[in-house]
Amino acid sequence: MEVVDARVAIAPAISLLCAALVFAAADHTFWRRFFSLSAALAKLIIVMSMLPGALKGVVYTFDLVEFTPGVGLAFRADALGMFFAVVSSTLWLFTSIYAIGYMEREPNRRRFFGFFALCVSTTVGVAFAENLLTLFLFYETLTICTYPLVVHDETPEAMRAGRTYLAYTLTGGAFVLLGSIWTYQLAGTMTLSQPGILTMEAGRTTLTALFVCLIAGFGVKAAIMPLHGWLPTAMVAPTPVSALLHAVAVVKVGAFGVLRTIYNVFGVDLLQELGVCDWLAALAGITIIAASVIAIFQDNFKRRLAFSTISQLSYIVLGAALLSPLAATAAIVHIANQAFAKITMFFVAGSIQRTTGKTAIHEFAGIGYRMPYTMGAFTVAALSFIGIPLFAGFVTKWYLSLGALESDQWIYALVMLGSSLLNAAYWLPIIYTAFFKSPREDALVHEAHWTMLGPTLLCAAYVLLLGMTVSVPGMPFALAQAAVKFVFGM
Amino acid sequence: MTSWSPLLALFLVIPLVGAVLTPVVSDSSGRRSWGWAVFIMSVTSAMSVSLIVRVLEEGPFSYVIGGWVAPYGIELRFDEFSASVAIVCLLGLLAIVFSRHYAPQALTPERIPYYYTLLLLNLTGMLGFIVTGDLFNLYVFTEILSLSAYALVAISGEKTAEMAAFKYLVMGAVSSLSILFGVGLLYALTGSLNMADVTSRLAGTAHAPLVMAFAALTLGFMVKAALFPLHIWLPDAHAIAPSPVSAVLSGLVVKIGILGMLRVYQMAYGSGAIDLSGLNLTLTWLGAISIVMGAFFAVFQDDIKMMLAYSTISNIGYIVMGLGLASSYSLIGASVHVFNHALIKATLFLGAGALIHQTGQRTLTGLAGIGRSMPFTTAAISIGAISIVGIPPTAGFLCKWYIALGALEAGEPIFAVALVFGALLIFIYYIRMVNAFYFRKPQDAGAPAVHEAPLTMLVPVLILAALCLIMGILGRLPLSFIEPAVTRLLTPLGGG
Repeated sequence: MEVVDARVAIAPAISLLCAALVFAAADHTFWRRFFSLSAALAKLIIVMSMLPGALKGVVYTFDLVEFTPGVGLAFRADALGMFFAVVSSTLWLFTSIYAIGYMEREPNRRRFFGFFALCVSTTVGVAFAENLLTLFLFYETLTICTYPLVVHDETPEAMRAGRTYLAYTLTGGAFVLLGSIWTYQLAGTMTLSQPGILTMEAGRTTLTALFVCLIAGFGVKAAIMPLHGWLPTAMVAPTPVSALLHAVAVVKVGAFGVLRTIYNVFGVDLLQELGVCDWLAALAGITIIAASVIAIFQDNFKRRLAFSTISQLSYIVLGAALLSPLAATAAIVHIANQAFAKITMFFVAGSIQRTTGKTAIHEFAGIGYRMPYTMGAFTVAALSFIGIPLFAGFVTKWYLSLGALESDQWIYALVMLGSSLLNAAYWLPIIYTAFFKSPREDALVHEAHWTMLGPTLLCAAYVLLLGMTVSVPGMPFALAQAAVKFVFGM
Repeated sequence: MTSWSPLLALFLVIPLVGAVLTPVVSDSSGRRSWGWAVFIMSVTSAMSVSLIVRVLEEGPFSYVIGGWVAPYGIELRFDEFSASVAIVCLLGLLAIVFSRHYAPQALTPERIPYYYTLLLLNLTGMLGFIVTGDLFNLYVFTEILSLSAYALVAISGEKTAEMAAFKYLVMGAVSSLSILFGVGLLYALTGSLNMADVTSRLAGTAHAPLVMAFAALTLGFMVKAALFPLHIWLPDAHAIAPSPVSAVLSGLVVKIGILGMLRVYQMAYGSGAIDLSGLNLTLTWLGAISIVMGAFFAVFQDDIKMMLAYSTISNIGYIVMGLGLASSYSLIGASVHVFNHALIKATLFLGAGALIHQTGQRTLTGLAGIGRSMPFTTAAISIGAISIVGIPPTAGFLCKWYIALGALEAGEPIFAVALVFGALLIFIYYIRMVNAFYFRKPQDAGAPAVHEAPLTMLVPVLILAALCLIMGILGRLPLSFIEPAVTRLLTPLGGG
């Protein structure tokens, strides 16, 4: 059932308004904090207010503006979009609180929080995009809004990282635009409301080229190898930004774009006939293993996290590329599972850096005694990535392996297994170093400020909840299932 | 003809007479000549609005000078393409308003009244070019606007300005000659100078001279439009001229080449006497090369106006590529961009002018960190930059969308690729610019504090920046003019 409801347009717009107010608040710390938090909170409330309806199968739509006939900005909150919006707006609130604590003494906070709030707006815009053009618009805007955050320190290194970031993501954006125009030319529409709008009539070669075009475009932000180069470089940004890039916004809109391309532009049936998804799955499989292997050799904590992100994102791509309902479920829920676990880790990295100034893993000896809660949260996230039952990551691995077997591609079940081992190989040493190596400094308990510790612990709690009950309040598994049913026509 | 038609003649007479009278009326006072020019341009703008309202209600209409009927007398004709007078009037008015504080700083006092004379003459030339229905008058108006443009480039009297104007003059004179040659050939072939009449007589004329005539016209107009490789005059001329003049030159004067091309196409398609596929292919490729070369050179500029000048070459490339692809989508895209690029480039040039006026700096290095002291101007420039790259929902987006769609429609995906990646290259140097404004530390902290530009500068820049956004969101508005015009263009002898 479709209902016209302005809330799908208000959700991105309200953060836009708050961003403007943050800029207007200039140097008034109180008002800046107030508007930053209200940007996150207001959006969360609006998104959540649509959740009961969405769970009943209501799809909210709103056509904002039509530039020319058939080409315009329109919003639509279907199950997949709702799922992504719920995840990102929940995490955004946590990240905003954390950022306020983390950025306490940094210069240029007005610019930072202004663009930070803009990013909320654009991510939800991506989630609720009704057509490829709207998706492209917010996808590109997100690139532009994250750039000032990446170069926040204004050091030569940061500027260089910013350039790399832009070079990759803007090229990706160009591919997305080209793909969108091409889709419109072939299908006469760009809507994402159908389970596939293209047909075999367009010809095998054209469709393959278009698929490559769109996947390459979205694949840049989803960091599919070899398009991942920007991600480790962008680590120079302040930690809340890294969390934002890696867990919530940037990489996830890439993965989300891949899902939209596969499920709503091409459709499962067409792709099965076309056979291109085998290649994508292979690429994702290679990325999962290769990125994990590289991660083992990183001593810088944030760089290790970055390569872990690259590996984890390809779970989502692999799940989508397998074209089986169970794997699709895994792909969608992994948006949430990866997000909560990875953001926990980044919060931990930031807290350690702010409290002790340490960034390299070999310096972490005994840090578990100094920051027990923080490192406890880290342990939860690490166990989730390894895929231990009761933790969120297990759910993904379970469904993804089942999906691989369902589509007769058992090799990917082995990839899952291998990835678990590799994850153990690079997370467990950190836990060992933190808790079991003797402290080199005096082991007084000295935790991060509550604005940083609080969000860390909450996210870790979510990781546990997601693993234990599957259906956490506010993180509805049912939405993922509804999306899968729609896509596979079940 | 209804009683309204004489308005069309007055529409040209008023700015022409106004231009000539400027030095007399102003009595060599810069302030008074500014007021006079604003008054004349406001009246002209008001008239343009009523003309456009009429073309929307009734369709194309004509005014016959002296009552001599079409093929014999001189005809002024107002059709949908002529709606571009609105943009000429708007930009002209804003550029003149902007000049109030700019001109006294850039020019010696005794030249100021003549500056407004030349500017008004230039605008009259363009208005006349757009509404004339007669080939010879097309040439005459081309000369009016070109000659005044050379003088405007040189008006500051600096050595570099004179050199740039001279280069512009040489290229411009050759192109005018080429246009005149083409017009002469068409007259010899058909015995008529009225464009509609020529169109109907073209069928059955000798082929070789006809090709030569169209080639000469195309060549002439392409020099005026600064299409690669005929662009060499543009960067210096546009960068060195006073900023309001740069805005008019870059936003409007180069478009005259494009509008001239559209007139040529109207005749060629209308008569069906000549096969344009070879020309179209050439234009498409030259357009694509222009996009890339313009962007490529722009990336290496440090002078902000030089950068904008090269960006114009890229954008002309987009428009010409759209013309060359010759599908209905791409023609719509090209025509829309004639309007929208004018708005965008005027925003950028006037914005840059405000920065230069306030700081005395024109390089990115010199303008580092300016975003802190001139937030409104730099915000407007940023909007212009986003528009010119073509990010929705700004004005630059529609053109790219339609031309790319046209390329795919014509079965030439390679040009869609060139277009999208050309836009990417363009993005790079606008990012350099925005970077310098916002993310770089000012050069020397000891310099006197810079203030935001005066209102007569700021208001035009902000109006234009707002229009960059509005025209993107209300993209349907220009389409209501352009779609019927393009349909008519592509239908042989369908002109009403």
